[in-house]
Amino acid sequence: MIPSITKLDGISEDGIRRLVDAFYAKVRVDPELAPIFLRAIPGDWQPHLNRMYAFWSSVMLTTGRYKGNPLVKHLVIPGIRPQLFERWLALFNETCGELFDDGISEEFRVKAARIAESLMLGLFYRPDRPWPPETAA
Amino acid sequence: MTFVVTDNCIKCKYMDCVEVCPVDCFYEGDNMLVIHPDECIDCGVCEPECPAEAIFPDTQPGLEDWLKLNAEYASVWPNITVKREPPADAKEFDGVPNKLEQHFSASPGRGD
Repeated sequence: MIPSITKLDGISEDGIRRLVDAFYAKVRVDPELAPIFLRAIPGDWQPHLNRMYAFWSSVMLTTGRYKGNPLVKHLVIPGIRPQLFERWLALFNETCGELFDDGISEEFRVKAARIAESLMLGLFYRPDRPWPPETAA
Repeated sequence: MTFVVTDNCIKCKYMDCVEVCPVDCFYEGDNMLVIHPDECIDCGVCEPECPAEAIFPDTQPGLEDWLKLNAEYASVWPNITVKREPPADAKEFDGVPNKLEQHFSASPGRGD
């Protein structure tokens, strides 16, 4: 039997760390995402995790801790495609729901979906092709 | 999608937004800031930080001209990531209508 745990009803640096750690633990064993991520981050994951703590802290707690250019980072990833964003969001949403109560989970989901859409536009939008791109496999 | 800076930033330029932006996509004119639409990741962090309530998502209707203005000047004004003192008369101009016609300056600001 799975022990019941109290879900977090607020956002803190500690909660963000737990979310990021749990999420990327799933990413690293996900059949779709793992190959892409393990190629992009072949060694120590801690620097990436630290950046993600700072990113989500900036986005959810407006701390300004992250400064960077995520679009450029994604542009150089071989094999990046819209379907991977869908998978990323599904795993992220699932992890949010495991850690946070419904209201807080929704706050994370809304932000993540908007940022994903924005990155996808930057990566994949072409004026001569339909948007959103065809995501069926 | 992107966020855009609109009329009430003109002559207010409080600059609180530049400190919280995770992707440093604000550019500074002489008396207003703009957002680079291709750099903004749509996180929305800046919107509630603006004391002048001048920042809106471009999904809001009627902002097409502001989006154009943001895109145009973001490519020529300098980047700004660190807040400085706002103009001494910022409060007096906060809420004054139609500042674009009377007060907008196309000159670049100092940047960082």
